Amino acid sequence: MPENNDQDIRIGVFICHCGSNIAGYLDMEALSDYAQTLPNVTFVQRNLYSCSEGGINEIKKGVEEQDLNRVVVASCTPRTHEPLFRSSCEEAGLNPYLFEMVNIRDQCSWVHMREKEDGTAKAKDLIRMGVAKAALLEPQESITSDVCARALVIGGGLAGMTASTALARRGYEVVLVEKEENLGGMLRRLHKLGPTMTDASDLMEEKIQEIVQHAKITVFTQSRVTAVQGFIGKFEADIETQSGVKKIDIGVILMATGGRAFVPEGLYGYDGQRVITQLEMEKLLNNGLDSDIKNVVMIQCVGSRNQERPYCSRICCQIAVKNAILTKDQIPDASVSILYRDMQMYGVENEEMFRDSKAKGVRYIHYDPARPPQTESDQVRVYHSLLGREMALPTDLVVLSTPLVAPEDAGITSQILRVPVDENGFFLEGHVKLKPLDFATDGIFLCGSARFPANIREVIAQGLGAASRASIPMSKGSVVVEPIISVLADEDACRGCGLCVALCPYGALEIRHTEKGRKVHVIDVACKGCGVCAATCYQHALTINSYTDQQLQAQIDAFLIDDI
Amino acid sequence: MAGVSRLQYTPEIKTVRIMCTGRIDPAMVARAFQKGLDGLMVVGCYFGDCHYISGNVQAKAKIDMTRKLFKYIGVNEERLAFRQCSSGEASVFVKLVTEFDEKIRDLGPLGGDGDRVKAPEIFGKLKAAEAVLAGEKIRWVMGKRTPFLETGNMYGEIFTEHEFNRAIDMIIVEEIEVQEILAKLKEGARSVKDLAGDLAIPSERIFRYITALKRKGMVALDNVTDRSPIFQLVPQEV
Repeated sequence: MPENNDQDIRIGVFICHCGSNIAGYLDMEALSDYAQTLPNVTFVQRNLYSCSEGGINEIKKGVEEQDLNRVVVASCTPRTHEPLFRSSCEEAGLNPYLFEMVNIRDQCSWVHMREKEDGTAKAKDLIRMGVAKAALLEPQESITSDVCARALVIGGGLAGMTASTALARRGYEVVLVEKEENLGGMLRRLHKLGPTMTDASDLMEEKIQEIVQHAKITVFTQSRVTAVQGFIGKFEADIETQSGVKKIDIGVILMATGGRAFVPEGLYGYDGQRVITQLEMEKLLNNGLDSDIKNVVMIQCVGSRNQERPYCSRICCQIAVKNAILTKDQIPDASVSILYRDMQMYGVENEEMFRDSKAKGVRYIHYDPARPPQTESDQVRVYHSLLGREMALPTDLVVLSTPLVAPEDAGITSQILRVPVDENGFFLEGHVKLKPLDFATDGIFLCGSARFPANIREVIAQGLGAASRASIPMSKGSVVVEPIISVLADEDACRGCGLCVALCPYGALEIRHTEKGRKVHVIDVACKGCGVCAATCYQHALTINSYTDQQLQAQIDAFLIDDI
Repeated sequence: MAGVSRLQYTPEIKTVRIMCTGRIDPAMVARAFQKGLDGLMVVGCYFGDCHYISGNVQAKAKIDMTRKLFKYIGVNEERLAFRQCSSGEASVFVKLVTEFDEKIRDLGPLGGDGDRVKAPEIFGKLKAAEAVLAGEKIRWVMGKRTPFLETGNMYGEIFTEHEFNRAIDMIIVEEIEVQEILAKLKEGARSVKDLAGDLAIPSERIFRYITALKRKGMVALDNVTDRSPIFQLVPQEV
């Protein structure tokens, strides 16, 4: 088999033309001639497209016929093509981690298009560096670990309830933890939901019934998650319930802790009586507005889009428009004005609702944040920036649209789960586009306003989406993790001091008592291979697979050899 | 993304891929300079946006410390930079590498006009730096940095960044001096007075280091010449 011992390293270098993307700017013949001269290189081939079926077959043929035990492909970016080339190596019987990729397109031909000579010289450097590292690569085995088919959902609002039901319907057990006495979250405090004007209580009751009736869902109300250990597939959570602390094994965790309406203490004369928030308005509308209320003024962006909270909470405009319509419906001859900075009414139905409100006589007045409206006992004075003059609007009720903010305990939850929050205190997803419902830590997902203020429809979509994401590892029953992780390379050197354990962002290291004394243990499925531990260990006991000190040094040393 | 956007930059820049800047080991950095590198720029994610949660915070702290050490030994610390940009910010990346390239061009080759200590002496200094950065003391203290600043030491005392940096400054001086003594003794046995003369370090300090090294079994008395004790290295097991 090609995996020979160290004395006999046979590296194959495949240089991709990428059509003309590389070949159009670099001297390909010079590159392949140069690659031939590098240590341990026994085979060099140029391909028009290494990633095409023909190119892949050439790589496989090279491994089989030339008895290659390391493969270097000099082509494009590993972000898109590393998995493909690795699997080609594997198909040819070579361990996929004996593959190294050199990026001579994105890091060379595309960025040095007008310097053929210097670009070619750089490509030679990059290939030499890749070959030097490849010579030291070692085979790695993928890591597999079982996944417990039970989910923990934190937060019993709309997002959490939606996700719980979706998971339970797929046959997974769900443990739903809610800190309040009842399920429902924010829905419990809302009147009607825009743009469809559904009763919030109807939606809430429907969701709660589904939860209560589903045998797979266990609900803990007035409970909190106080500790979480473990990693994807094998988490253990401590849940502080009314009847003591329960320890529960779970495979995945969904965060659905929602948001909290900002209370505008000290702003615009807020008193909860004549000057109230939209959330308080929901309650008034639900009880039926006092028919004496003839003049309502709503002020947008109260406590948001300022220095302290620079973000747009983006759902408050919809809420204001909806509540303005509902006010008009209850008291048709009331005057309702909305003082706004910008109207955030995305989506077809919201646009329609916006138009409806105007048809019903809701007035929109733009204000400049530099000259904010002034609330007085029976009127609001506002500088109308389009008319260029100050207006006085009589008021019986002033409604302030305040943003959703992160819950007060988001910081604690973030520490318990070791997941990040953004500068506004909301939970931060793994990637804006690629992993919008996942945390960077595997096995933990998020949905609803815990991430960012979301309206009903978005909350439901995210709840379903997060449930879907969370069910992937559970339906597979196991997770396969890339072995580019930390390893205790020198067990004798490790003193079990725990320095690395404290720094590991993933909780992937722990101290274990072994026959040789206290030693660090890497929980391989939890490790992401960031390398902080290896770069910190004063005993140099830890290293990172495929990024060892020796491999990185070989790469740097190869760069510093000037032999061209 | 610079490639995808076809933004052009200098071919002088070569990249070494690591999964996270958290992997940056200061000892490896010093070694690379000692082998002839003229400039190293570590580019990581923005804080709070780290794909690996906090690797960039650790990397920044390590690079800051290494820059202090470089400055102390006479290597222009501008040769080592920690910069941040997101993977989508092609133009920022190009700006960073272009500025860095210009900076290094201004400084010229390592140990030339750009550095306080010149070649070849600078390479000896970097060798001492590598030993310091690979050594137990500074790595332990750097490893404890986050706990010290956030949760405190075993007595619950939380340090300010300023206090921590002052401690690091002191450790750098001591550790470099110890490494220089060891390097000198490697050339042959010497007295405290000889070492003080060779290294331009006050003899009281040399005496203190020698006493400590003796206690650790790294240095031993060789003989007494002219009533001066002569010390030699004790070979260490690797």
